Amino acid sequence: MHDFRQPQRQSPVGVLIMFLDTLREYIRALWPILVVMLLKGDTINRLLYVGALIGFLVFLGIAAYLRYRKFTFYIDEDQEEFIVTTGIFSTTRTSIKLEKIQQVNINQSLIQRIIGVYELEIDTAGSSDKEAKIRAVSHPLASALKERLLEERNRLEEITSNEPHEEESSAFIKISLASLIKTGITSNYIRTVGVIVAFFLTMLDNIMRWGDAGEEFDIDSYVDYTIFMQSIFALIILFVVAVLVINLVRTVVRFYNFTIDRQNKSLLLSFGLLNTRNTIIRPERVQITAIIQNYFQRKMDVLRMKIRQAGDLDSRKTQIEIPGCNQTEHLAILQLLYGCNPEEGIMLMPNFRKLVFSIFLAIVLPLSGFFYVSSKLDEPQELIYLPIIYTVFVGFLLWFGFRNNRMYVTDRFVIIRSGAWDITREIVETHKIQAITTSQLFWHKSLNIGTLKLHTAGGTVSFSLGNFEIIREYVNRWLYKIESSDANWM
Amino acid sequence: MPSLKRESRTSRKTGFLNILPVEFTNNQIDTSALPRYETVVFRKLESDYLKVIFIRLAIAAIVLAVLFGISYAFVEVDTVGITTTIVVAAIYLFVAIAWIVSFHKRGFAFRDHDVLYRSGVIATNITIIPYNRIQHVVLHEGLFSRMFGLAEIKVFTAGMGSDIEVPGIRKDEAQAIKQLLTGKIQKQLS
Repeated sequence: MHDFRQPQRQSPVGVLIMFLDTLREYIRALWPILVVMLLKGDTINRLLYVGALIGFLVFLGIAAYLRYRKFTFYIDEDQEEFIVTTGIFSTTRTSIKLEKIQQVNINQSLIQRIIGVYELEIDTAGSSDKEAKIRAVSHPLASALKERLLEERNRLEEITSNEPHEEESSAFIKISLASLIKTGITSNYIRTVGVIVAFFLTMLDNIMRWGDAGEEFDIDSYVDYTIFMQSIFALIILFVVAVLVINLVRTVVRFYNFTIDRQNKSLLLSFGLLNTRNTIIRPERVQITAIIQNYFQRKMDVLRMKIRQAGDLDSRKTQIEIPGCNQTEHLAILQLLYGCNPEEGIMLMPNFRKLVFSIFLAIVLPLSGFFYVSSKLDEPQELIYLPIIYTVFVGFLLWFGFRNNRMYVTDRFVIIRSGAWDITREIVETHKIQAITTSQLFWHKSLNIGTLKLHTAGGTVSFSLGNFEIIREYVNRWLYKIESSDANWM
Repeated sequence: MPSLKRESRTSRKTGFLNILPVEFTNNQIDTSALPRYETVVFRKLESDYLKVIFIRLAIAAIVLAVLFGISYAFVEVDTVGITTTIVVAAIYLFVAIAWIVSFHKRGFAFRDHDVLYRSGVIATNITIIPYNRIQHVVLHEGLFSRMFGLAEIKVFTAGMGSDIEVPGIRKDEAQAIKQLLTGKIQKQLS
């Protein structure tokens, strides 16, 4: 049995973690200087440089050791507080009331896995600065500390809730490798196309410059031209395959063995191949749930969910992604979050002016800029197919984006559907709304169209150019609901 | 209304009817009888605040004039310089007009349960914050505003991008507003 009343240090290998942490911080801050020094310096300077580097590493080692010595944690039984002391020369003492502790997560990054230690992360109800992390402890110690820290919370919960306390946590959803692979190869297409276009443009730019510089390069020669086109085609295919593989590997590594457990009323997620991560979702803290699915994913019955919880703007923490669940799993998650499957109710569509306006913004403006610039160039006709490709591609995106844009309203939920290829449905519970903004351009007054923005603690959702009369009617209704009840939004 | 119709296709597809919410009452509200936010009469900002805007614009004009004066004194005047001057002057004029228009557009209102703020230049934006969602209220006095006895009220919520800042309120009134809002928040807490 571990005794947490006495201040104690992390595992001795914690020094190594501290060292690597500090090293990473410094490298992140100083890498440009390091690179420049390495490249520019001559031999003598390079020797000096290596010496300086070794000195620096020794200095870091000492700093890490001091940091390790200074880092202690213990539980103050009288005050019912968990106390973490950090620092090198100055000391920071963070005390967290046991009753405020929301969740204790045990994580493991790749380095921690190699060394064989675990990280303990303590999450509180309050703001983000009242959080603590213990970077290197053994697994038995971590589990014992976790249990001890959560004792108070579980006791409190038992008093407040009349329901019997269900201690057992059951594996609720397990996302299979097959689903992850499906998600991996079907996600991020738009970004992929964007990357390819950018790559293509820079290449074209380089070729043209090359063509200008060397007189020998004769693009009109037929043989040269076919070889040129073939190699470009091969490059593009190579590129597509590479991006697909990268997406696939990224998804699988990041979300490997994605498990969702039900514990009391919350969802416990754990995932990761190299870095194992644990997160918790509390239904009352969920502000926006986004369900994302594209055409291929619909055919394969996979979808992604992004859940935004109330909290600080640190999106890594507040936004949680669940990849590759199927229809039934996603309904089960919604059931757990909302107690029902949010129904769609009354539908609102955007006015066609929205399409017109986005065409103006995304096609007319850039193209007029393009033509203005190219009219100043010597040979404008060489680039004529670029605006055509651009217009077709962006035109498709805008048209489908407009077609898919919908707002569904019921008394309890607002669902906003948007997106051209990846169709996103954002679900907001009306009692989680913090503030509402409506907005109307003066020439839209007689057309009776306008824009709605719903601000929640997890972000803002908006729907533009819908029927303003209906929007206003619903705003009045939501305000009535929010103001006449004291429903908990977090 | 063409854009309003019952959507049943998707709901049938997902089959949500199998999972009906438990213990969920949903009585009909007479929506026509609800108070309407769009009919609220907004209080305009104090006319002295327009003077604050003019002072700011004048300072910006002086800074720009000095900058251009210096560059004209040292650099030979060519077409690029003249074009830049005209563009900057046009932007300045545009901003000045926008500020003045937005002064006339801005207004605020307090109802029993929420605070409303209207703003915008070519659009009319109305932001509504229910009192039971206010996190805290701040009274802010700018340098120029203080010269005219004006203050600014800032209302913060937990929502992102939804905080409202109402300038150009007489200081005693701003204090009263702050008192009122703080009182409302405290009532929510108790």
